Amino acid sequence: MSADPTRPDPDKLLNLVNQDRSVSGRGRLKVFFGASAGVGKTFAMLSEAQRLAAEGRDVVIGVIEHHGRSDTAALIDGLQRLPMADIEHRGIKLKEFDLDGALKRKPGLILIDEFAHSNAPGSRHPKRWQDVEELIDNGIDVFTTINVQHLESVNDMVAQLTGIWVQETVPDQIFDKADEIALIDIPSDDLLKRLAEGKVYVAEGANTRAAENFFKKTNLNALREMALRRMAERVDAESDELNAAMGVKETPIGQKILVLVGHDALTTRLIRHGRRMAVRAKAPWVALYLQTARHERLGNRARMRVETNLQLAEKLGAEVVRIAVSDPLPHILSYARTNGFSRIVVGHRHRPAWLRVLRPSLANQLIEAGAGIEITTITEDGSTRNLFTHRDRPDFSPYVARPLHYLYAAAGVAISTLIGLPLRAMTPADNLTMIYLVGVVFVAVWFGIGPSMFASLASVLAFNFFFTLPYYTLAFDDTHYYITFAVMLITSLAVGSLAARVSLHARQSRQSEHETRILYGLTRGLSSVRGFEAMANVAVTHLADSYQLRLRFWVPNGSGFDSYPEQEAGNALAEADLKELSAVHWVAHNAQTAGRQTDTMPSARGLYLPLVAENETLGVMGLTPLDDKRQFTGADFLQFETFASLMAGALQRSVRADEAARTRVESESEKLRNVLLSSLSHDLRTPLTVMNGGLSTLLRMRKKLPREAVDEIASLWSQLDRLQKFVANLLNMAAITSGRMSLNFQPYLIQEIIGAAIQRVQSQKQDRQITTTIVGQLPMVMIDGALIEQVLINLIENAIAHTADDGTIMLTVERDADRVRVRISDDGEGLPPGEEDRIFDKFHTARRAGPAASDQLSPDRLPPDRLTSDRQGHGTGLGLAICRGIIQAHDGIIYARNNSDDPSGKGGTGSGKGASFIFTLPTADLAAKSP
Amino acid sequence: MSDPRTDPAAGRPTVLIIEDEAEIRKFLKSTLAAHDFVPVEAENGRTGLRQWVLAPPDVVLLDLGLPDMEGTDLIREVREWSRTPIIVLSARTQEASKIEALEIGADDYLTKPFAAGELIARIRVALRHSRRAIATETAPYDYDGLVVDLDGRRVQIDGVDVHLTPIEFKLLSALVRHAGRVLTHSQLLKEIWGKHSLENNNYLRIHTQHLREKLKDDPLSPRFIITEPGIGYRLKQ
Repeated sequence: MSADPTRPDPDKLLNLVNQDRSVSGRGRLKVFFGASAGVGKTFAMLSEAQRLAAEGRDVVIGVIEHHGRSDTAALIDGLQRLPMADIEHRGIKLKEFDLDGALKRKPGLILIDEFAHSNAPGSRHPKRWQDVEELIDNGIDVFTTINVQHLESVNDMVAQLTGIWVQETVPDQIFDKADEIALIDIPSDDLLKRLAEGKVYVAEGANTRAAENFFKKTNLNALREMALRRMAERVDAESDELNAAMGVKETPIGQKILVLVGHDALTTRLIRHGRRMAVRAKAPWVALYLQTARHERLGNRARMRVETNLQLAEKLGAEVVRIAVSDPLPHILSYARTNGFSRIVVGHRHRPAWLRVLRPSLANQLIEAGAGIEITTITEDGSTRNLFTHRDRPDFSPYVARPLHYLYAAAGVAISTLIGLPLRAMTPADNLTMIYLVGVVFVAVWFGIGPSMFASLASVLAFNFFFTLPYYTLAFDDTHYYITFAVMLITSLAVGSLAARVSLHARQSRQSEHETRILYGLTRGLSSVRGFEAMANVAVTHLADSYQLRLRFWVPNGSGFDSYPEQEAGNALAEADLKELSAVHWVAHNAQTAGRQTDTMPSARGLYLPLVAENETLGVMGLTPLDDKRQFTGADFLQFETFASLMAGALQRSVRADEAARTRVESESEKLRNVLLSSLSHDLRTPLTVMNGGLSTLLRMRKKLPREAVDEIASLWSQLDRLQKFVANLLNMAAITSGRMSLNFQPYLIQEIIGAAIQRVQSQKQDRQITTTIVGQLPMVMIDGALIEQVLINLIENAIAHTADDGTIMLTVERDADRVRVRISDDGEGLPPGEEDRIFDKFHTARRAGPAASDQLSPDRLPPDRLTSDRQGHGTGLGLAICRGIIQAHDGIIYARNNSDDPSGKGGTGSGKGASFIFTLPTADLAAKSP
Repeated sequence: MSDPRTDPAAGRPTVLIIEDEAEIRKFLKSTLAAHDFVPVEAENGRTGLRQWVLAPPDVVLLDLGLPDMEGTDLIREVREWSRTPIIVLSARTQEASKIEALEIGADDYLTKPFAAGELIARIRVALRHSRRAIATETAPYDYDGLVVDLDGRRVQIDGVDVHLTPIEFKLLSALVRHAGRVLTHSQLLKEIWGKHSLENNNYLRIHTQHLREKLKDDPLSPRFIITEPGIGYRLKQ
């Protein structure tokens, strides 16, 4: 690490700069922050927006609540307002911010009042701040407003202060992430004056009284203090960040705070308190939940509350840790000590004195045992007690005893009695207590601790009734039975609770073994199949029944999604439901979990998890419980995430494997092709060059040679020429069909290329006239010059081959919107009717036979018509196919027609004879427009 | 002022052939010998370099695809200590390697297969240029009615003075100084706008078009400036 601790850390600085300038492509968030309604946040926001709009920024209003205040309303003038979306909920039409409309409009800056607003049910996100997040993610700057009481971390303090629980809150992390926070502050007296003047909006109806209570000077002062304090924290954090980046060492405090999370309502206060302590001390903090045996006995609602509490802690910036333990106290202390926590925040509930002695509270135990660690206890007060009920009615989770179980316990005692009765005469009664003990053990193992305790008591009574003299009364003669009863009760209670606990553990480990086995089966199953559909089926087989779910997977396919497993007919329920599908889209796009019991589209029936591997969203996993009332627990969520990551991993492996195989095949065949091409090119060119050279030397000496020899040489020369062109075409075609031809696009004047091409065919044209007409002014074209020259040469040679020796070849070039059109017309024999399109096919496709090009090389097998492009000279039938390949690579079109078919006769020779070949090329302007 | 060709003491110009194909070497050898050149053969890059050092040739014919090294690497190496003209022999489809060769110091290129007459003409152009460079003499360019006097900064077409802008003159003088040889687009850009030119080919085309108009040179049937599609321009000679 850096030797000099005061050296600025460039990465951190860069980070700051990036955050600052939104280099990331994210939009910027500015929050206008106030102590309460009426301080003028909306006014300040609109003023700044007006100023920016005047500077030319693209400002639109998303939501503004001006509550009829005229000075505020006046500031709206001149700014574009996005229409609100109508959301229908249970027959009531609600106006909500139109997130999709805003994303579509994509303004530079959007104003969204009331950051903490809760959206109408059925909106994409339950909270408006989530809409804002999405806008920022899409690069839109946002201005918004918020009052301090809407911040999650001070929520409880506000409630204590004013007696009003604010339901609409924004997580502090979201607030802290804002790029800029402007505190709008006015003295409380001024605010009260504005209130008296009616300038502050006060909710109508039933809430008026509450609002009046709210706007008391003491309250306003306290809120103002909170807002200022919060702002100070923010400024402090900013300077810390800057200091850290500049290498200024932070004052080491070394505090670490541990908050013990439970399932009760008090926990929310513990968490908020813990956060405040952590922020003030600039200390990291952890929310710890201990999953004890007691957790298993909690009802579903209590479990859900644990999850809500943990989510709250996470929202407030805590690290959330869960540990499964049997005995909380030593684990808390060892966790705190090994991880260096200096302070533990724990809740403490008032309990009767006798219970305190019998079972001291966790807080008391920690104070006793936690030497060296500060223990902060938060005690319950009225505000939390009234909000939630602490007692949770037992529900019917597998580990909680039902009333029926007590009946079974009674039956167990009855059986013990029935077994004992025949033995009554044979053995002293004391021995028969053992039979009852056995009964209690069975009850404990099967039905848990409650029924076993019940059975213990019942056993003592039954023993007394049936086995002590006198029989069938609860009276007994012998006083030593006092001892027998006591020992029997204590033993059976102890044995029973022990057995119950052991049995519970066994059940838990069976459960986790079951889960492990499912996971193992899933992993094995996934690794043995290829392809997504098979994987989806494996997942469904392993998971759907075990977890009582309907499982579906969606994989993006370019335009939409493929869904697996394939839908059986008549079961298109999930597909038909647009909400479910839109959740799938959202998850795929945002790579975040959505749907049931989440923050996004919680009203969806299913829960949707992204399948993410290496930062790439490969698909979406949807889980719909068979029982729609079922609540997923935190453990369920963890399990589902495990499944999703397993699926994503498997999916990615399969994609990678396919890619690798394809690449290997491609690269091998590509290599082979290149080797073939270059050796062919080399092997053919060398003899051609030698022959060419030799013949040209011979031709130079023609005056010294006999006439027959000169004729032979001339004929050889022309055949050689034909062979050379054939080889060149073959190699060009191979390059084009391989699709690996890299084009060197440059701006050209098309005249230059035409001129060069005409030069190149000079030697072949004999007495033919080649004329070029340029219509109007031509723009530059963006082309690969050498390839387009080849196209022109091929087309002119083709025309030469199909015209008489004194024929005419006309080139016409004109502009056609964004393109330049080139037409090459001749007055030759024309095209075979109906073959206008097929002439651009390679020769073997025209003949609908011939698997390989090599079969076609011999010239005598070429059909004697124009399909093969040219029969006199260099007939390979490849020339036109090459033209088409090149023009298509230029995003142009090429076609041919007989001049007789062209009613206008335009561009033809006027005689209606011959054929025309037409192709288009992109202009440089067009290319610049679409990079 | 002695012309080596007319000076019997100077002997005939030597041409070093670096080419791995024996058949092509044989053909080149006989063609060159028939035109009064002294051919020297090398079948690979290393032998070629040794020949070059032992008996510096007047012109080098270099095949780009050599068995032991890339032809372009050879050019780069040689250009550090020799200004002998190099004519690259290459296949038609290798525009990129042609341009590269030209830009790192080759003087011209010939596309295989080529005719003997073309080869001899190119060798003569190369020789003339190297001799001119040695003599630091700038003879006026005079071809088909176009007269360019670089020293006097005068351009005449069919006996009439032509007025060129400074950029057009720079463009024309670059072509004249390398008359008969191809100049790549980026070589021309460098000649006109300097080494670190940020201008693009678009400007080059526009100025070439203007120059052509003033020289009454129709790109469709060029009189002076020949387009080498994909590579650059060449002034007729």
